[in-house]
Amino acid sequence: MKRNISDRSLRSLLLLALLFGATGSYAQYKISGTVVNEKDKPVKGVNVYLDNTLDGGTTDSLGIFRFTTTEKGNQTIVASEVSHENAGMPIVITGDMSGIVLHMKSNKAHEMDAVVITAGSIEANDNNKTVLRPLDIVTTAGANADVVKAMETLPGTQQTGPDNGLFVRGGDANEAAILVDEIVVQNAFISGPPGVATRSRFGAFQFQGVSFSSGGYSAKYGQALSGILELNSTDLPDKSTVNLGINMAGVYASGTKKWKNSSFDVGANYNNLTPFYGLATTNFKFYKVPVGGGGNMRYAWKPNKDGILKISVNGSYMESGIAIPNSFSGIDTNSVINSNPFAKKFSDMGDTVNFVTKDQYYFTTVSYKQMWKAKYSLYTAASYSLDQTNNSFGTIPINETDHRGQFRIEGKDYFNNSVNLLVGTEMQAFGISKDYDTYFKQSFVETQVAGYAELEWTPVNRLAIRPGVRYEHSGLLNTDDVAPRISMAYKTGIHSQVSLASGIFYQDADNKYLLAGLKPGQQEAIHYIANWQYVKSDRTLRIEGYYKDYASLIRELYNVYDPNSYRFITDTTTVNNSGHGYAQGLELFWRDKKTVKNLDYWVSYSYINTKRLYENYPVSATPTYIADHNLNIVSKYFVEKWHTNFSATYSFATGRPYFNPNSAFLSDRTPAYNNVAVAVAYLHSFGKWFSVFYLSIDNITNQHNIFGYRYSYGANGLATGERTPIVPALYRTVFFGVNFSLTQFKKDEL
Amino acid sequence: MNCKENQARYLQKDKQQKMKKILLLCSAAVMAMQVSAQDFKTVLTKTFTTFDTAQDQSVKVEQSNKMSLIAKKWDNEWAAHYYAAWSKTVLSFEEKDGDKRDAYLDEADKEKETMMSILKKETDETYVLAAMMANARLAVNPSSRWMKYGKVFSSNIESAQELNPGNPRMYYLQGMAKLHTPKAFGGGKKNAKPYFEKAETLFAKENSDDITKPYWGKQRNTQFLAECNKED
Repeated sequence: MKRNISDRSLRSLLLLALLFGATGSYAQYKISGTVVNEKDKPVKGVNVYLDNTLDGGTTDSLGIFRFTTTEKGNQTIVASEVSHENAGMPIVITGDMSGIVLHMKSNKAHEMDAVVITAGSIEANDNNKTVLRPLDIVTTAGANADVVKAMETLPGTQQTGPDNGLFVRGGDANEAAILVDEIVVQNAFISGPPGVATRSRFGAFQFQGVSFSSGGYSAKYGQALSGILELNSTDLPDKSTVNLGINMAGVYASGTKKWKNSSFDVGANYNNLTPFYGLATTNFKFYKVPVGGGGNMRYAWKPNKDGILKISVNGSYMESGIAIPNSFSGIDTNSVINSNPFAKKFSDMGDTVNFVTKDQYYFTTVSYKQMWKAKYSLYTAASYSLDQTNNSFGTIPINETDHRGQFRIEGKDYFNNSVNLLVGTEMQAFGISKDYDTYFKQSFVETQVAGYAELEWTPVNRLAIRPGVRYEHSGLLNTDDVAPRISMAYKTGIHSQVSLASGIFYQDADNKYLLAGLKPGQQEAIHYIANWQYVKSDRTLRIEGYYKDYASLIRELYNVYDPNSYRFITDTTTVNNSGHGYAQGLELFWRDKKTVKNLDYWVSYSYINTKRLYENYPVSATPTYIADHNLNIVSKYFVEKWHTNFSATYSFATGRPYFNPNSAFLSDRTPAYNNVAVAVAYLHSFGKWFSVFYLSIDNITNQHNIFGYRYSYGANGLATGERTPIVPALYRTVFFGVNFSLTQFKKDEL
Repeated sequence: MNCKENQARYLQKDKQQKMKKILLLCSAAVMAMQVSAQDFKTVLTKTFTTFDTAQDQSVKVEQSNKMSLIAKKWDNEWAAHYYAAWSKTVLSFEEKDGDKRDAYLDEADKEKETMMSILKKETDETYVLAAMMANARLAVNPSSRWMKYGKVFSSNIESAQELNPGNPRMYYLQGMAKLHTPKAFGGGKKNAKPYFEKAETLFAKENSDDITKPYWGKQRNTQFLAECNKED
């Protein structure tokens, strides 16, 4: 600046001189030279100029620049170009100068590629360059526009088969949490009969970003031994819209009204899966196909530029009935493991039993976010959810009520560009009550309080460190734990970086133990994660390795192993925290949106080696939901001319362990899993109505995948009888539908 | 021998005529300031015109480089930064390499930031510029960026509209956005045409005598309108 001012006054004086005829002594000098990069190749389009003057020129395709100047003496010549770092050197002008060579370093890391900690997490929002976005989710064949299902094409997850939930890196489904706007979602999946996987309750377009962490996650969250799936709801919509749709699972309608700083959404749906089941190969007898409906409302308001309030209310109802195999059929009710009072009632019911599910679900949240002067931010949210299921197992009614209230408040202080501190607290109160007719009743109420602090520090541009600590208290189990977390990332090059993460994670015992009135201590997992990532113009390569150490897992102390996951656990069951285990693995992710125009594909591969001694396992073993090798190839191709998007997904997994009473514990493996899914979407505008017609076929080859075997109970009360394969509810499925949307065309727009 | 010494010598020469010099300096300073301001507009107008009428990409790069220099020199002139940001955005649209397109826009972001720190409040033209920059970001990778930048684009257009419904560039940009949106998503020539038509009538009312009152876009708009009249 100093120089600038002196130069300016200097120039005024020069002008003076010019005005008074002293022009003779100020000649124009010709300056020329070349600009090359580190490989001595010419750089074109470079702005070469004398600093703080208007005198400069641009290099041609040979890297040559020429310009004239009236400046003399000590000057700085600068070269600047967008994809290179600025270069400069001092020169002394005494006359014409030629042959100046300026060296520029290419690959200037531009602002969008700031270092981001990626160990354990795959983000799906606009902040990161090559990840999953809502549109990616709906166009993934086989995912059926289900956010959670789409996550199964990413590394670190298992194919779910007949069970619900995310099985992350050796963890059971209940060890991964799903959050919406930092609020825990209880019962994230639609209720269904045992052995039939159901959809999650979320549609992809409700969210602007999806972030999946398969470990080493932030101190903001706890009570999940494996990982978390974080969904961030959309802010204020763009425009007012009307959306209508019909497909093989039902009809729906929704509308959004947008005002200047607020919006109101309302939607309703009616579901009837008769057409869907009609076209699929089902393995269960649905004597009552799933039928239901729901409604939702949302209000969003921006009181100012940097604040947003969101209120949402959701409610749904679903009813279904199928004939399921009765694991209790013909059991010896005097045996050790089946001596419950009502077991006889179950055992008398025959080989298959009609199972009816009626499910009511309500979920409401209020959240507010405010930023002040890009220096402080506040986020607070409260939520209440209620899930009421009225099931009947044959003639026995089984009722369950789950409720959860929660509150979170956190503040962040951005001290400067390189340091910010997050401090927050979270409270959860939840409970379940369950009754099996009049035979017995179980219930619990848990209160959890947590506080957390997390520092984000970027000491230099290429290094980011995020240490955090979390304190958790459980009211029901009367435990207090401190969970430190740390993660960091270092940019090893313009396009590559390494990340590390580690932390301690605690979790309550599974609900089935808490329901029985048992109060064991917290289970614990320690994660160690390292990854290397290379991202360059729409190509991503990630290699991640991890080791997880499990301690204090819950063990049931039985004499005899019972493979039935619906076995009864009562207050007479003895449990303790003597379980343990480990998981280690290597994962690979490759995504390429660049090589072929309009083709987007990714490949994810996960290898895992895990064993654990927990629940009722007699010895340490690889759990039944683990396939050592998992592979997913997802591809999408958009044909612009036809307005059509084609997508295909191939999934492969090696065999899973299953319990065979005649061999060593969980030593047998099922056949490998194979699935090919295809989907086609055709886009068309009918006047102002924008429509999407879609058709998807899952398991197009009608592969009979087997997830395990069930052995019937023999006369000795043990599961040693005939075996039947555990299969998904449906093999090949066909799904099609159409969506129409109308965006408000404002009259004053033209 | 450098300039400073030169000047010093020049001043020494005039030592005897102290009074005269002071007087002269005072009047010259006033004149120099006027010249400087006029100079700024003249230089900027010339650079802008060369940029705007250039067919050759290399000429555009050169003129845009010049605009960066102008912005450095006249650091306190918002318009200098405005044109630097605008020209980088135009270059981004015409560049093929995705990384470079973003790099141009990073430059544009910086210039716009400086511009805002001088202006301190938004005008219809700053919103229009923001909308154009959002559209350029979107254009780098439409399929993955439309969700975010589509919103930024339309909200800036909306804000511009509130401040000045008669801004032709606002309609020109909307026409461009429509034109580059696939027909299946409600874009295409037919849908773009009304915007260009609207812009055309507004451009006709605009004059181009002051560079600090942006007037770019007229010629392009006419071209695009003609293209929209052609068969699809």
